[in-house]
Amino acid sequence: MKTMLSTATAALCALSVAGAATAQEILILAEDVPAGLNYDGPAAAIPSSQQGMVTLLEPLVGYADGETVDGIVVPDFDTFEGRLAESWSYDADTLTWTFNLRQGVTGCGEATFNADDVIYTFERAKSVSGAAPIGWFLSNVASIDGFGPEVFGEDPAAKELGDSIVKIDDYTVQIRQAEPNALLLPVLTIFGLLIFDKETMEANATTEDPWSHDYVNNTNAPGFGGYCLESWAKNEQITYSSFPGYYRGAPDATRVSVRRVPQSSNRLVVLRSGQADLVTGLTPREYNSIADVDDLTVAGVTGNENLFIHMNFDVPPFDNIKLREAIAHAIPYDQIIATGYFGEATQWNGMVPSTYPGYAEVAGFNYDLDMAKALLAEAGYPDGAGLEAFAEAFALSYVAEKESTLGPIVNVIQTALREVGIPATLDPIPQTQYGDRQLVRRDLPFAVNDQEKPIGVDAGYAIQLFFVSPENGGLNNMVNYRNPDLDSMWAGARVDPDTASRDATLAQIQGMLAADVTWLPIVEYRTQWAFRDRVSGLKWYPDNSIRYTDLQVED
Amino acid sequence: MLLRYITRRMLIGVVQLFCLVIAVFFLIRLLPADPVSRLVGLNSSPEGYEQAARQLGLDRPLFEQLSIYLGLSPDIAPGLLQGSLGVSWATGSTVGSEIANFLPVTLQLITLAFILAFIISIPVGMLGALNPGKAVDKGVFVYSLFAGSQPEFWWGLLFVYVFYFQLGVAPAPLGQLSPMTFPPESVTGFMLIDTLIAGEPAKFLEALHHLMMPVITLAFILSGPIIKMVRQNMLRALQSDFVLYANLIGLPRKRVARYALRAAMGPSMTLIGILYGFMLSGAVLVESVFSLGGIGQYAIRSVLAFDYPAIQGVVLVITAISLVVYLLLDLIHAAIDPRIAY
Repeated sequence: MKTMLSTATAALCALSVAGAATAQEILILAEDVPAGLNYDGPAAAIPSSQQGMVTLLEPLVGYADGETVDGIVVPDFDTFEGRLAESWSYDADTLTWTFNLRQGVTGCGEATFNADDVIYTFERAKSVSGAAPIGWFLSNVASIDGFGPEVFGEDPAAKELGDSIVKIDDYTVQIRQAEPNALLLPVLTIFGLLIFDKETMEANATTEDPWSHDYVNNTNAPGFGGYCLESWAKNEQITYSSFPGYYRGAPDATRVSVRRVPQSSNRLVVLRSGQADLVTGLTPREYNSIADVDDLTVAGVTGNENLFIHMNFDVPPFDNIKLREAIAHAIPYDQIIATGYFGEATQWNGMVPSTYPGYAEVAGFNYDLDMAKALLAEAGYPDGAGLEAFAEAFALSYVAEKESTLGPIVNVIQTALREVGIPATLDPIPQTQYGDRQLVRRDLPFAVNDQEKPIGVDAGYAIQLFFVSPENGGLNNMVNYRNPDLDSMWAGARVDPDTASRDATLAQIQGMLAADVTWLPIVEYRTQWAFRDRVSGLKWYPDNSIRYTDLQVED
Repeated sequence: MLLRYITRRMLIGVVQLFCLVIAVFFLIRLLPADPVSRLVGLNSSPEGYEQAARQLGLDRPLFEQLSIYLGLSPDIAPGLLQGSLGVSWATGSTVGSEIANFLPVTLQLITLAFILAFIISIPVGMLGALNPGKAVDKGVFVYSLFAGSQPEFWWGLLFVYVFYFQLGVAPAPLGQLSPMTFPPESVTGFMLIDTLIAGEPAKFLEALHHLMMPVITLAFILSGPIIKMVRQNMLRALQSDFVLYANLIGLPRKRVARYALRAAMGPSMTLIGILYGFMLSGAVLVESVFSLGGIGQYAIRSVLAFDYPAIQGVVLVITAISLVVYLLLDLIHAAIDPRIAY
């Protein structure tokens, strides 16, 4: 009996370790795998889907490597370098960019990259035929001529590419802007304008779906990336094989399998057991728990992830600047950094990510209860008297799905506010409801937000996105901030070709935003990953997706 | 007679499903959230937002949307009458194909768990009932209380920690197969069957091994209430007149116990049927702990994404299966209880 038991146990043990990744193959555990690979499709806003897109497709341009922080290379946002485009030039008189494309690049589908692929990609974006027109949106942000709102009208000619993007020869493409706009190169680095392999895309087009949305939503995203799709089961697993002919050199990891493991504690346990090589999406507490474990590395960078308090200008009493300042001085920043992020965060003294070009440091708030009480009295609510009438407004909303991360933080905030007499309550709501109230209704009175990462790496883009009044093009002005001075300053900076003068205006705007406590910035927290020591070479990108081509894997 | 009963039940089922379809269609649209904002993300323009709403058909009047969903406007898109559950707003795949992928995972899991729970519960429940008040009965009571009183995800996480991380006898909680194993071609969607069809016994064993912990977790939870029910019904049956008579005329104890068990099985089967219907979506926590992409996970994802076609599809399919299960139960009931006639 004992022998039988031992044999059975040995057999089970053998089976249980059979799944470990072998040399040059890596297993990554994530919260999810791509729900789609189409950046104009329904899954475009989901980070796990974006991870799939950047693995299979390549941009025209990228950022050069910058400094290395804690073993992670961060981009130098001031220096662009070629990817599928080898070089480029800009003619300010005609607002035209000329891109010289790289020759000899092939993709997994054995197609050769050329100007037709670039033209196809922009034609598809302008067709606005997908569920979410991200490609058009980015082109519009960069002021590419013809990519205005007219594409959504009835005139089919408005959806055609026209002469704003033209093929000069097989390896030269010109893009014309409608006005000077510094955002063209930054948007070309973003996942929403990655280049498709036209041949394979067209081979999978149908009469009903001429732009192959179904194919990219469900089967593959053909491009010129370092990995080819080997298998993909939505909600379960995606596996990529390295493409030996990748134009930037064959990737070191020959096979990358990404497995969906919904429970972060299970991702942690499997990593610790040695069966996985890299995990993402752990809570700060979990990252902290393995920081000193042999054979494992926890690394991260302060990239573009941050936490702020949102107070809606349209909802009293948040229209009272003194009350806003009182709240700013009642927040125990250091305690949030210690208990919410285990030290892996710093106080955010800015209104845009501190790593973005154009960022200007602003005067931060300090935790000072006396000052908070004095400001509260000045606001007309000594010791909070009178605020009970605004009980509904003080329901602090946050995304319920992020309870394990945000729960400790909102509790600290609630306790601190109650200490000065502000009757804060907690209101966890589902992500979809949060998104609806933030983006569409803009009626969230009071909220904690840790999910705003402007995809355009530029302070101006962030300002346009969050702080310009909706009437003047503000896209996600969730707090209903309206400042005509800011609007007109941004209107000037947007088309200012002089970087120094543009940066000066952006700095002035950021100062105004901080003075009005438009958002109450709390912390910038580190984007982190945990991985086995056999893996190295990680770089951070603004979309927070890993480029598997960067990874080095020891046998 | 039986055929007429089944037909009548099926017709009632169709009416129930229709009412449910209408109710779900309107109820999910009353929820305070907007699927379009999730779709376009938080970096979109008003034009992009409107375009996305158009793509989803949300710019159309509500009754037109219903008409499309029911399949009354096949010129616009196929609907239920054409056998289409629509296209997922979260992935762009057809809801029918997604459910066909997710449902077998859950059916396989809960069916095996119910078989195991049944195998454990019947003898254990009988043992308690045949020895009322004795130590063994108290043990059965404690087990049933213990198993049924803790949430399944807690047991699941505990089992993962003990059997995978500490003892190393269970596989990593990474789904139906190891991530480095190529799955067999999906024929039925049931991994155990597909591995056999593909003639890959090693993968069959691997799938069985991966199912071991989630099945044990679920069976452990399910056995609690089933044991209680079997024990109670068995006790009641043992005190009934026909059992007292059987004992009086000196029938062997085993035979009497068999008679009593047959009488006790009726209500227990009802409980099992209800639990089975509940577990179709209620196994979600176990699916989550063991990274099994089952229908519960799909339902949760759909609800969180406000993916209306997927929510409607899941509700419809789970209800249809539940109705079939209840029908089967009634038929089994009739087979084991001669007092029931149709």
